[in-house]
Amino acid sequence: MFGLITRRLLTAIPTLLVIILASFFLMRLAPGGPFDGERPLDPATQAALQQAYGLDRPLWDQAWLYVSRLVQGDFGPSLVYRDFTVSELIAQGLPISLMLGGLAIVMALAIGVTAGLFAAVRAGKAADKVIMMLATVATALPTFVTGPALALLFGLWLGLLPVSGTGDGVAWLIMPVVALALPVSGAIAKLTRAGLASVLKQDHIRTARARGLSETKILFKHGLRPALVPVASYLGPAAAGLLTGAVVVETVFGLPGLGRYFVQGALNRDYPLVLGVVTLYAALIILFNLFADLIYGWLDPRMREG
Amino acid sequence: MLTRHFPLVIVLVIVALALLLPWLMPWTYDQIDWDAVRAPAFSGSHIFGTDEIGRDRLARLAAGTRITLMVAIAAALVSLIVGIAWGATAGWVGGRVDEVMMRIVDGLYALPFMFIVILLMVVFGRSILLVFVGIGLVEWLTMARVVRGQVMALKQRPFILAAEAAGTPPITILWKHILPNIAGVALAYLMLTVPQVVMVESFLSFLGLGVQEPLTSLGILVKEGADDMDMTPLGLLLPGAVLVVLLVCLTVEGERLRDRFS
Amino acid sequence: MSLYEIRDLAVDIAGNRLVDKVSLAVDAGQCTAIIGASGSGKSLTCLTPFGLTPGVASGLIRLDGIDLASADVGQLSDARRKLAGFVFQQPLTALTPHLTVGAQLQEATMQAGSARPTRAELVRQLERVGLSRPDERLDQFPHRLSGGERQRVMIAAAIAHGPRLLIADEPTSALDASLRAEIMTLLDQLRAEQGLAMLLVSHDLASVEGHADQLVVMDKGRVVESGPAADIIANPAEEYTRRLIAATPRLDEPAPELSQPGDILLGTRDVAVEFQRPGWRRGRISAVVDASITVRQGESLALVGGSGSGKSTLGRAIAGIGPVTQGKILWQASALPQRRNRTLEMRRSIQPVFQDPVASLDPQWTVIDIVTEPLRNLRPDLDRAECNDSARQALSDVDLPEEFLTRMPASLSGGQAQRVAIARAMIASPQLLVLDEATSALDPLVGAEILALLARLQRENGLSLLFITHDIAAARRLCHRIAVMDDGCIVETGDIQAVIDHPRHPATQRLVAAS
Repeated sequence: MFGLITRRLLTAIPTLLVIILASFFLMRLAPGGPFDGERPLDPATQAALQQAYGLDRPLWDQAWLYVSRLVQGDFGPSLVYRDFTVSELIAQGLPISLMLGGLAIVMALAIGVTAGLFAAVRAGKAADKVIMMLATVATALPTFVTGPALALLFGLWLGLLPVSGTGDGVAWLIMPVVALALPVSGAIAKLTRAGLASVLKQDHIRTARARGLSETKILFKHGLRPALVPVASYLGPAAAGLLTGAVVVETVFGLPGLGRYFVQGALNRDYPLVLGVVTLYAALIILFNLFADLIYGWLDPRMREG
Repeated sequence: MLTRHFPLVIVLVIVALALLLPWLMPWTYDQIDWDAVRAPAFSGSHIFGTDEIGRDRLARLAAGTRITLMVAIAAALVSLIVGIAWGATAGWVGGRVDEVMMRIVDGLYALPFMFIVILLMVVFGRSILLVFVGIGLVEWLTMARVVRGQVMALKQRPFILAAEAAGTPPITILWKHILPNIAGVALAYLMLTVPQVVMVESFLSFLGLGVQEPLTSLGILVKEGADDMDMTPLGLLLPGAVLVVLLVCLTVEGERLRDRFS
Repeated sequence: MSLYEIRDLAVDIAGNRLVDKVSLAVDAGQCTAIIGASGSGKSLTCLTPFGLTPGVASGLIRLDGIDLASADVGQLSDARRKLAGFVFQQPLTALTPHLTVGAQLQEATMQAGSARPTRAELVRQLERVGLSRPDERLDQFPHRLSGGERQRVMIAAAIAHGPRLLIADEPTSALDASLRAEIMTLLDQLRAEQGLAMLLVSHDLASVEGHADQLVVMDKGRVVESGPAADIIANPAEEYTRRLIAATPRLDEPAPELSQPGDILLGTRDVAVEFQRPGWRRGRISAVVDASITVRQGESLALVGGSGSGKSTLGRAIAGIGPVTQGKILWQASALPQRRNRTLEMRRSIQPVFQDPVASLDPQWTVIDIVTEPLRNLRPDLDRAECNDSARQALSDVDLPEEFLTRMPASLSGGQAQRVAIARAMIASPQLLVLDEATSALDPLVGAEILALLARLQRENGLSLLFITHDIAAARRLCHRIAVMDDGCIVETGDIQAVIDHPRHPATQRLVAAS
């Protein structure tokens, strides 16, 4: 188990480095830069700006410089938000994005596993069919449709929840988190239901039943853990999905999270900002996959030897 | 057929409307009716009214759906071809080659892919070609995994060994024994890839990084609608509903197909 | 009165009556065995009364004076908890993967309401079923144990709560031949010690002989014959039972008449096969080590060994569908190259038949395409009509009617599929068939028919056979000589009767004892 974690962490570092370097060179390959405005700057100003941001050095030098600063937590200056460093922007945006994503995954797990469990117990009955239909619909609800639709309904028409920005209390979190969690909870419900359906047919469940255990005990002690293995392997992609979804939600609800900086940076070719956010996202996803691996090992001891 | 494959029927109706409506309607998707800016629904020849600069909503909806579906099908086909080629090679050759090829897939899976696609859009400009190449290159991963698993399982089956003993050349075994036996599963995943791609394309377009004006897509329409929703909710609800219905129906049919073949 | 008694049991699933008019009884300390082919309803008969199948049981079912037929769900689960213990076929999957051996054993001990057992008690339970290093096992997960060890844990758990009745559903079928005898002996011993009544279910008459006191023979959901086991085996009253007994190969049956072998056809000289370890680990696994065997014209050689002994790997190497790392394969004294380097003529001469008949046929192809596949590649001189004629002939050679040519594999029974596979192997007129457990997956009656078919084909065509199997008794019906494999090595060769009479190597002794 411990060996598995160390091995995963050790492979995570080169993976991260490859992502950083690939993104770095990709950005530098791009024709045009942040100072290509509508009106060309005069050459002197351009050169001064280039030098100030280190853009005139050889590419490898820049890459090396970037990575070595990164290790010290310095993501460089933002080219568009000129008064801020990327680190400051990240420090400001990350907590909001993490809160959105974290709450959404907790909510999705709670709703999804419960609904899937309920449907599996009622397999073939009306409740099962209704839950599975709702789950399919939920899975197909893109955040960029549900977000504005929720805002329209609860914000503009009913006036119950704030439509934009952060405020006091938690009211501002409700709609963004719901919009984020809906598709994930649908997918988790389907996976839980399918996992349980196949596990409950397995021989070890018959063994447990032969012991005269109650159905509840069979379900929770013998059935649930192996049934959640597909859910655990979905957590990695789900996390990536939530991070991308957060980009939309932050845009729709005007929240100053990481995603909004990312889109702004991408649209304005703010290299250091985009690079910084991609690096952070990659690290988060790798970390989350590691976490998913640990859950995996807990659910099924056969995975611990990997 | 009609009741069993109700979702498929809905998809076909939407496709038919998206293809036929532009021929039947007096308005094109980028034509501005100066006399009817922000016309309400059912006013004159504008069944669903016009948007904030006087373009017919229904015409735009049809055009947007068409583009979204075109991108989706093209990208799904890219993913099908790349996925089958990659997965079948890894599964068929096996050993270290398989190990390396699948590690690459695992690695790519772990990447924040949407961000890489966005990066590509930023770097190489925002063209519709790049949108579907980019998306197709993302979506092939699942296909490759599925195909590889199928090929690995088939390769162990005695009928492949019997074919080898019967002197059937490897390439013929691949074509006549392996591919026909994975076709069903591949088709099912192709069907499941289409809604995935629809989702990704709309997402990119929503952020302004996908399909560009004057072309339109469901994602752009949702974005326009969301920006203007306090004035006319129809602008958001129409394309949003079409998008969700498409996604639900395609997913249901795809999952049904997948369950049949696995 | 018997401890457990069933009278006129019927089992229905979704309105279909799958078991009807079954009566049997089990006394304390005795073993009653139900014998039947797959689909005979034997498992339904023993599991449905306890609510362990989707079926509905009706009739008279009485366990220790309690009427189970009229019991509700709660009473049924009470009966399971207190009075009965169960052992199932698949030791690989019958234990919960995420709970340790100790946790499962503890749950089993407490199922009838006993207090939480101490660790020492759990250790004693594992010792009782003959598991080595019991203390260590308690903390292990099931996947760390071998198949035989897991089955011992299953048995320990089944009797941990002190049941009166033990139901064992094919307890040894998934185990290696040499382990089967050990597990059966263990069950006998526990039955005697605890005065357990045992209901045993098996498809294999040979495996229950000597263990069962009473025998119930089932076919198509009904009892064909029942009574004391020794009487039935010595004096079967019914035609079906007679056929079943005749179909079950035994070591003491009269030796078959076999044709006289000719010159040496095939020989292997120190053949070794190694595989790369999976993943990135260094090193290689030796599957076959320096194996030398010979097969003469018209001779059948039995290649016998347990699972993982390397017998299939060697067979595949000879058939040209598996790798050879070292050594030579000689065909009429000239060396056979590896796999695809063989000429069409060489490939034609050696054809394989596999264990799983359904998986041997491409599900997307029709029978005629399947059967003619070797001709299309190995006999380019034949045109389509000639191929089709050969296919018709090949089917009639394996006793299948011509109509089968247009069938799809999914519509064939196991025996029919295996006949098609043999027709495919025979169509290009080979001289040697490599039969890899070709009868092991079939029901006893069907397996015996296939054995008889192979014997006939050999006689009529002067064919040589390499009969790969774990079952010495089955091999004895067909083979002149035997080569025993263990751990990748050929450990003993010789005339099959001589080896059975005087096995020298421990592996051979185990295999003979298990038959």
